[in-house]
Amino acid sequence: MRGAWLRVAGAFLVALGLHATGTVLIEGYSEPFAIRAQLVLSCLLAVASVGQTLVVIVGGIDLSVPFVIGFANVVAAQLYGSGWPFPLVCLTVAALAGGIGALNGFLSAALKVHPLILTLGVGTAVQGAVLLWTAGFPTGSAPEALTNFVSIGAEAWIFPVPWLVPATAALLVAVMLVLARTPFGRRLYALGSNPVAARFALISPVRMWTLTYALSAIGAAVAGVLLLGFTGSAYADVGQPYLFQSIAAVVIGGTALTGGQGGYLGTVAGALVLTEINTLLIGLGLQPSMVQAALGAVIIGLVSLYGRAQHVRTTI
Amino acid sequence: MRAISRETRVALALLALLLVLNVALNPLRFAPAAWGTLLGLAAPLICAALASMPAILGGRGGIDVSVGPAMGFINAVLIKTLVIDCGITTAWVLVPAAIAMGAAIGAVNGAIATLVRVQPIIATLGTYLVLSGLTLTLLPAPLGGAPQWLKALSGAWSLLPLAVLALAWLGFKRTPLYDHLLATGSDDRAAYSAGINVTAVRFLSYVITGLFAGVAALALTALIGSADPTIGPNFTLLAISSAALGGVSLAGGRGGFLAAAVGAVDIFLLQSALTYFNVSTFVLQISYGLILVASICINALPSALPRRGAA
Repeated sequence: MRGAWLRVAGAFLVALGLHATGTVLIEGYSEPFAIRAQLVLSCLLAVASVGQTLVVIVGGIDLSVPFVIGFANVVAAQLYGSGWPFPLVCLTVAALAGGIGALNGFLSAALKVHPLILTLGVGTAVQGAVLLWTAGFPTGSAPEALTNFVSIGAEAWIFPVPWLVPATAALLVAVMLVLARTPFGRRLYALGSNPVAARFALISPVRMWTLTYALSAIGAAVAGVLLLGFTGSAYADVGQPYLFQSIAAVVIGGTALTGGQGGYLGTVAGALVLTEINTLLIGLGLQPSMVQAALGAVIIGLVSLYGRAQHVRTTI
Repeated sequence: MRAISRETRVALALLALLLVLNVALNPLRFAPAAWGTLLGLAAPLICAALASMPAILGGRGGIDVSVGPAMGFINAVLIKTLVIDCGITTAWVLVPAAIAMGAAIGAVNGAIATLVRVQPIIATLGTYLVLSGLTLTLLPAPLGGAPQWLKALSGAWSLLPLAVLALAWLGFKRTPLYDHLLATGSDDRAAYSAGINVTAVRFLSYVITGLFAGVAALALTALIGSADPTIGPNFTLLAISSAALGGVSLAGGRGGFLAAAVGAVDIFLLQSALTYFNVSTFVLQISYGLILVASICINALPSALPRRGAA
């Protein structure tokens, strides 16, 4: 348990260290506007990774995250553009996304299919359906309230950050409470650490996986709608960077892909780390392709510092 | 010799069905005279699926998502650096170079995943990003110019890369390492207790994956006849899906050459049949996703149902 907290603390320290490096090397790295931009980008990634965290804790993985983000992004814009009231748009998108996620979880658990391939297949089909519906050219727009909610220049009450930042903090507290204090949270960890023992504790894997994957897709859908406000227009591929980044954020935050351990605070730290690396590398003037290469090397380096798996001899 | 697993039999039945459908739809394309070209079209995916398989067999999350970018990287170095910049066109240099680069990439992946013990999907995701980034830096835009002998590998000689991989795998199966790999993949704790060097066996599985990826890169270069920085990464998920579809268990320890190859041919025939109907790419994408899900679910159905009845 102490090891877990150390990993989370380590991830936050790495984020701070990266930020300090950036401040030294790059002029204007710690300007208020730059910090606000980094916070907003981190929050978007953190929201997109809520579901991945839950799914990884229960012992799965969700490759449909980027497709569901794109789905929510396009569908929300399209429906709002055709005159639906925005709250109704959100409810519809969340319900549809929840259905997609529930399908992912149900099929994976009931048929014991590996979720990697299944979520990939479902995601591909969902994206195809969205593209077909919009004929490849999504239209529509974002309501002004949504744009203000995520805009880097906006202010939340007296704080110089948009409402997205305090909202993500509230989400963090809520998810941590759910994981630590509710039967759902306990079942999640129990099922993830030992599926056989969990069955004797009368935890239904099918019900838990269905629910968890539904929550994952709803989280991704929220991120998709937020991205609509951030970019201002719909784009079906908007979620693609989040495929690997959501998994990387979870792992950098100390949640093991083997399931049963970790938490959302670590993922938030991981999201900060990834955003800092990205900003730093771009700030150093690297080409986008070199940013990608360096990002890969840094992810491996970070995870090998404190995210290493156990040797098989210690698991016997 | 182990019997063919039930999953692979289902994939074989699907293959027969798809083959009949393809021949009925498009007899010319599937006529014997076109077999060389046809196999050349399918070879990169088949080789990529075969390359994905050894790392997955090792179990405990073993997977190599960098197979696609590795193919793209080797493709770029072969054409851009060796052929165009250095003017080397002989097979005696290019083929060993491709295979050596593959093995080196595999060894790096293996070292990170088994010695440093970074979880394999994260380790190879890291090399995925590194390799695709390096490829784009080396080669910002597609560039032509594969030598003639290499282009022939996607035509008259298209069986050659696959035959080489098949022979290599048959040879590997005759060594004790093959049994050690399956034992490690099925239950690494039992294998470790039985004295198998689990770390070394898993490391080797990544090296084999890399070697095979080198051959896959040759097949890809032969097919496109040029260097293209964007085409490689697409192969990763298709290759892993192919292997899984053919019956390579992502939990490790089950599957092999036949399973991965059959799964890849299934996906190739599926794409080929869907393309024939001349529907929009969006419908293609939906059908492709749905058929992937359906076939994997059908594959799992028989083993899921009795277990549920017994519980």
